[in-house]
Amino acid sequence: MLKTLGKRWREKFEFGIFTLPVLICIAVAFYIPFAMTIRYSMTKWNGISKHPKFVGLDNFKQIFAGDTNFSDAAWFTIKYAVLYIVIVNVLAILLAVLLDMKLRSTSWLRAAFFIPYILSLVIVGFIWKFIFMQGFNSLGESTGWAIFDLSWLGTPGLAFISILGVSIWQSIGFYLVIYIAGLQSVPEDLKEAATVDGAGPLRRFFSITLPLLAPSITISVFMALTNSIKVFDVILSLTGGGPGGTTYSIAYDIYRDTFQNNLYGYGTAKALILFLAVLAVTIIQLTVFKRREVEA
Amino acid sequence: MTTNHNKAGKIILEVILVLLSLLFLYPLFLTIINSLKSFGEVMTDVIALPQKLTFSNYAYVWEFINYPRLFLNNFIITGVGLLGIVFISSIAAYKLARTKTRWSGVLYFLCIMPMLIPFQSIMLTVLQTAKNLNLSESTWGLGLLYWGFGAPLAVFIYHGFVKGIPTEIDESATIDGASGFRLFFSVIFPLLKSVTTTIVIIDVMWIWNDFLLPLLMVNGSPETKTLTLAAYTFVGQYTSDWQYAMTAMVMAVLPSIVVFIFLQKYIVKGVVAGAVKG
Repeated sequence: MLKTLGKRWREKFEFGIFTLPVLICIAVAFYIPFAMTIRYSMTKWNGISKHPKFVGLDNFKQIFAGDTNFSDAAWFTIKYAVLYIVIVNVLAILLAVLLDMKLRSTSWLRAAFFIPYILSLVIVGFIWKFIFMQGFNSLGESTGWAIFDLSWLGTPGLAFISILGVSIWQSIGFYLVIYIAGLQSVPEDLKEAATVDGAGPLRRFFSITLPLLAPSITISVFMALTNSIKVFDVILSLTGGGPGGTTYSIAYDIYRDTFQNNLYGYGTAKALILFLAVLAVTIIQLTVFKRREVEA
Repeated sequence: MTTNHNKAGKIILEVILVLLSLLFLYPLFLTIINSLKSFGEVMTDVIALPQKLTFSNYAYVWEFINYPRLFLNNFIITGVGLLGIVFISSIAAYKLARTKTRWSGVLYFLCIMPMLIPFQSIMLTVLQTAKNLNLSESTWGLGLLYWGFGAPLAVFIYHGFVKGIPTEIDESATIDGASGFRLFFSVIFPLLKSVTTTIVIIDVMWIWNDFLLPLLMVNGSPETKTLTLAAYTFVGQYTSDWQYAMTAMVMAVLPSIVVFIFLQKYIVKGVVAGAVKG
């Protein structure tokens, strides 16, 4: 009797020793700050005064009533996220299919497309800023192509395309690797059977490869979604929000309100809206995509 | 006949792909050659190769940003962060996966939920919490803070992996007299080697290159800055001196490129294991 009681307590004690460190660290990094965020979102506060003024839901009303900065940034982020998710996944699947064939240079090619992913996004932004501002001059002179004479960071529409293109350039290698792994789990005999049944390459791709790639697509879209909604670093170093404030994302807008305009309470309210949006969109995405997956 | 036709097609395709990959890496090539040019040369022609290799840009930037110091900072932050993440996440994920109670389910959910919280939503209050705990403006403090930020993904990946290890292994080790940490470190942890590699790789690339958290936490003094932060402020001050800016870029990314070249095989395998498992 005493012995079993002792054993139960020892097990509980051990459970605590193993799990408490991680719970404390996660609480410090996420839950405590998150609770404070909820509290601050209902205050008017400049970040300096000792007593933030409680204003209830006023910040949220103000944001939805007509904060053009926020709605512009939201629109930019939605456009960016949709295009980024579609383009990066389509390109990565195409490239993965090509690189899944037995070529002599396969390992070089995989490494080459992966390299930009190991660089920090801020640095990637600066490198491309240099290329758009200085490199395109020289390229224009030597090739005579008009495409290099356009102001890629100075015109609103083109600046958007530049940000999108640079982000895709940096991260495509990561998605490529996920899809190559997915392709390797597609059984060869299914493809052979389809070939015997007279299916051409395109038919084989759409009827066999693509459906069996569904788990990779789910994980890639999830990653692309969560990353693109939070886009910040590359904009900071590439356009700084310009020209004329047309390339602010929601994350950048929050950063600007809290750290540059000292609207702590107001910026925090925006941050909470961003969290709810991310939560809703990812839950919808995961349930929809999981339902469509098939087992190999 | 058809096989010959196929072979030719394959070679053409391969040539196209190799050319495409070179074009893909061309921006990095431009960065490197311009870091070896003088100011005048960068201004007159960006795409030309340097007339003679000048390493004076490197000497200048090395001195100006105090490169050894920043390198050490990055090293400490990444090292402290990594060791902690691996340790606290692996033991917790193991216990949570092995204990089948309602509590362990709830705690597991609490551990992985933060993956959905965008950092921008909490960055201000993270900064305040760090100040209250005396963790800000210190490289060690920043490293410690990464424990909490890296843990959710690490717990998630470890948890999935531990479930695949048969419980008989635990039982036989217990009969042999090992329990608690002894059991975990001499029996279970070695079995987690491949997934630990995955986590180490993902987290090294993330912490080494991270920008926003260091910007908020350790940007105050040159003693605590990181390489990416230094490159950021340096370029801000020297927007027209592109030769120095490009040199700073190369110097900030060089360590990760070197690591990549040595660990290339494991990195691609590691990302695959992490992503597909997850």
